[in-house]
Amino acid sequence: MSQIGLLVVVVGTMIFLALQAGDNLQARAIPTGFDFVGDSVGIQLSEGIDTKPATGGRALWVGMVNTLRISVAGIVVATMLGVVIGLARLSSNWIVSKIASVYIETMRNIPLLVQIIFIFAVIQTLNGLDEDTGPISGWFVVSNKGISIPRLFGLNGSFQWFAFMIIGLVVAWWVHRRRVQEQDATGAVTYPVLSAVGVLAVFGIIGFFVHPVMGFLGPVFGAMANLLGSISESLLQLLLALAALLLAARRIRNFLKSMSSGGGRAKLVDDDYFRMVFAGVGALAAVLVVFAWPGLSSWLLNSGQDLFELLESRFGSGNGGRPFDAKKPDLNITRFVNYGPAGLTLSPSFAAVFIGVVLYTAAFIGENVRGGILAVPKGQSEAAGAIGLSRGQSLRHIILPQAFRIIMPPMGNQYLNLAKNTSLAIAVGYSDLVQVGTTVYNQTGKTLPVVAIWMLFYLSVSLTISVIVNYINVRLKIVER
Amino acid sequence: MVFTTDSTFAESVPAPAAPPKTIKLPPREWIKQNLFSTPFNSVLTVLFGALIFAAWRGLLSFTFSHERSWDAVATNLRLMFTAAYPQEQFIRIWVCIGFILGLAAITVGAYAVASRVRVHFLAERTMVFGGVIGVSGLLAPFSTSATVWYIVIGFGLLLPGIAARTQIDEEATLPLMGLLGIAFALPVLSLWVIPYGHHALLDGELIAEPGTVARSSSGPWTVVLIISYALYLLVAKVMNPSAQARLKRAVVGIWLVSPLFLVFIILRDPAFDYDHIASVQVPLFLAYAILGGALLYWLTKPGVGEIGRIVAATVLLAAIGTFLFSAFGFGGMRQIVRILALALAAFALLAPTFSGEQAARRRYVRVWVITVLGLVWFVTAANSPSTVATLSDWFPGGFSVTLMVATFTLILSFPLGVVLALARTSKMPIFRVMSTFYIEIVRGVPFITVLVFFAIMVPLFLPSNMEISQIAAVVVAYSLFSAAYMAENVRGGLQSIQAGQHEAAEALGMTGTQKTVFIVLPQALRASIPPLVGQTIGTFKETSLLAIIGVFDFLFVARTLIPTQTFFLGSLKEGLLVVCLTYWFFTYNMSKASQRLEQRLGVGER
Repeated sequence: MSQIGLLVVVVGTMIFLALQAGDNLQARAIPTGFDFVGDSVGIQLSEGIDTKPATGGRALWVGMVNTLRISVAGIVVATMLGVVIGLARLSSNWIVSKIASVYIETMRNIPLLVQIIFIFAVIQTLNGLDEDTGPISGWFVVSNKGISIPRLFGLNGSFQWFAFMIIGLVVAWWVHRRRVQEQDATGAVTYPVLSAVGVLAVFGIIGFFVHPVMGFLGPVFGAMANLLGSISESLLQLLLALAALLLAARRIRNFLKSMSSGGGRAKLVDDDYFRMVFAGVGALAAVLVVFAWPGLSSWLLNSGQDLFELLESRFGSGNGGRPFDAKKPDLNITRFVNYGPAGLTLSPSFAAVFIGVVLYTAAFIGENVRGGILAVPKGQSEAAGAIGLSRGQSLRHIILPQAFRIIMPPMGNQYLNLAKNTSLAIAVGYSDLVQVGTTVYNQTGKTLPVVAIWMLFYLSVSLTISVIVNYINVRLKIVER
Repeated sequence: MVFTTDSTFAESVPAPAAPPKTIKLPPREWIKQNLFSTPFNSVLTVLFGALIFAAWRGLLSFTFSHERSWDAVATNLRLMFTAAYPQEQFIRIWVCIGFILGLAAITVGAYAVASRVRVHFLAERTMVFGGVIGVSGLLAPFSTSATVWYIVIGFGLLLPGIAARTQIDEEATLPLMGLLGIAFALPVLSLWVIPYGHHALLDGELIAEPGTVARSSSGPWTVVLIISYALYLLVAKVMNPSAQARLKRAVVGIWLVSPLFLVFIILRDPAFDYDHIASVQVPLFLAYAILGGALLYWLTKPGVGEIGRIVAATVLLAAIGTFLFSAFGFGGMRQIVRILALALAAFALLAPTFSGEQAARRRYVRVWVITVLGLVWFVTAANSPSTVATLSDWFPGGFSVTLMVATFTLILSFPLGVVLALARTSKMPIFRVMSTFYIEIVRGVPFITVLVFFAIMVPLFLPSNMEISQIAAVVVAYSLFSAAYMAENVRGGLQSIQAGQHEAAEALGMTGTQKTVFIVLPQALRASIPPLVGQTIGTFKETSLLAIIGVFDFLFVARTLIPTQTFFLGSLKEGLLVVCLTYWFFTYNMSKASQRLEQRLGVGER
């Protein structure tokens, strides 16, 4: 009863606020609507897959790609650095552990934004770009125009090479399993990981020469594209709707099953009904969206078809050349080129955000790693010592696998923070989603729609990261009988 | 050996907080064990030792290089810390500093946290400090005479340190507060002796003005020092325990209210219109205090029952109505009337929870009267025009705006976070879903997007006749953002409460609200203190984002204002270094304090 009263008050207040906001929006003539996505805008971006995007939507897309680029790279490098720092913090060498703790205390206690701005200021006062700039002239260049190193990049043949490598992965996995079985059975040391890596390396080298044999995949992808082309839009709508309904039905059935035992079903409370209703309403909403918006299913069909056609052309004949090529930094022009066949370049603003985010997050990851390792009971390492494992062996086989389970959830949080923190790029002008969005709404005045796109994008990134981390957590959980 | 002797062992119970004694190795042994135990370790030591020297040298030559123009920071220190606060009004800032330090002294005295410091600990710190200064003198690009001075000072600290370390008994201690007093008094004394001055820009020329800083600040600092120390002595040594206990309770409340008091009365100096106050605010206060107090006194009577609830609900509807009517053109009602009505509704709804004996009911009414007084005073002060003439519409800037935004955000977001956490753990699915939805969305997006969103939306949610300044919108946005994180921390605490606590409270016949307010929340909040302090530090650090949206904060001055001054064109790094150091100083000390607090509270041990 009191719940309903409270609900009326809360919902009433919200409706009131929403009405108020709507009135005010109209009164102040604040524009809403997403038409800027298709309209042309005159925006010049500092870097990205397309520096002169034609439409507002395209500009935001470039920003999204830039955000993802810096987030993924940042996560990989910050993890490596963080693990090293966490281990260094636990080192028995006084000087090493002291350096690690000073590093952590410094990085954690200075706001990331200040760090990024500071790094950017330092990069801007470096030497200018010249033929012999940098620690290794021509190869490794550090200048006020950015940091550049040679880069390996894929040609058309790389698709066939990767397809070949997938076979290699399967074989390597099989070899690894066989070796582990042998080791378990006989007790002999068989180096399973080492041999799997060896198999992979052999496949990589062989594939470099014989990768055109994978060209037969081209017609296969072509057939897939034709298949998708023959499916009608309404059939897909029907299928999607059926899938949503089936999913909801299965969910409710499983839930009811979990509530009942041999003796009958447990008494259902409000909360349980609410859950079931929620699942049903969700499914109905999905069906409604599918039928009310035919563009969705045709978009799905078309993009699937496009993807397979692209793959067909990549695998087709005439793509048998070298899979890879390497290029040195291109110093002939006054500024570095980030895309296309040239060296791998970090522009000053990218470098500032990247270095800042990596150094900052690594400090937190280091603390997580240290905490995780310390949380493994001391008896584990003592037992490992008692059965004669060396310190390295006990770390690798006993401590780290257990610590990993403890480290993983906070690590997921840090990855989330890193992805969100890349939005500070706006301070140094790296064209990430927030920076591009600011430019777009300054030009079109459509602040609220842009903010909505920001939020949707970051929410889906957060969701993706937490789904991956949760999956790993579930996989790593100790199976208890 | 160093182990405890029989006599100490025989002495009754050992002190519970005494740390286990560590065995001190002689220096040679220590170096062998910690630095050169294996060949690999030796290599690491040499490698990283060289790295430290290189890094330290790099930092020193960066800091003391000829390219650095530290004048840029020295001249603009005032701008960085107070922005355009008028100079002739600086006495207000002194009053604030004095108030805060005096209150801190009273708190330290009342809680008797003053402990003693081991002489050996001090000696070690002095030794290390002296050594670092000496080595820095060798590494930095100083002139010869400066190098000699640095080395002399370094040895001047190193040698007494070594002497104290070897000569004085290991157990000897000194009182911490005495030491702090001396540490505070020494720089203040130096103000009277050394003519510190600042640089002034006059017609594009930089002019050193020796003695200006010393002249203007030696008096105030001395007064502040004497008052604070006297207050500490008064509370810690003179006061009797029962008065101390009463003071302890009062101090917490004063800490919570003082930011409002300092900002809105002292720093802002509102020009009160006393006739208006006498004709409007005072009657309003009296009406709410007397009528509302009577209503609450009746509502807290134990046997009121269903009719009390209906009355409370009516008050709530009326309170919300006051906001609604203004939206539909029935404006003209004073904002304060609506706010007080809403507060009264909240008190009325909570009344059954606090019902009981006469004394409890009177206390509840007393709290209500104090709340009304505080609200009336606050709204009046905030709405009166400021007499402190500044360039922008809002007086503080620089570091003071950072501090202010952080403080108000914490004060606002904490209750909101607790409510969100309670909603998320409640049994009512609708509130749980709404709260979860809000928390997860806010936590899933970066602060800057929330800031932009709320900076637009908050003014839109308000009635059309109500204006809100940019900084207030920022504080509201920041609080809404921060509350989601607070809620997750509090939720952790809530989940750590054992089921037995709930069951025991129910067995005593408590209502749901009583259980939450008196049993669950106190324990949950205590358990969530460490993450909440972490969150506080994060909030303080993230205030730097205000610079992006154009608030005149600390970082904005260092990054945008100083490098564009014609005389200091491009002096960016100096200001940024100062910003880094200031943030570091505050957050580092906060995190150390939180670790100590954690140990003191024994979180996770009981």
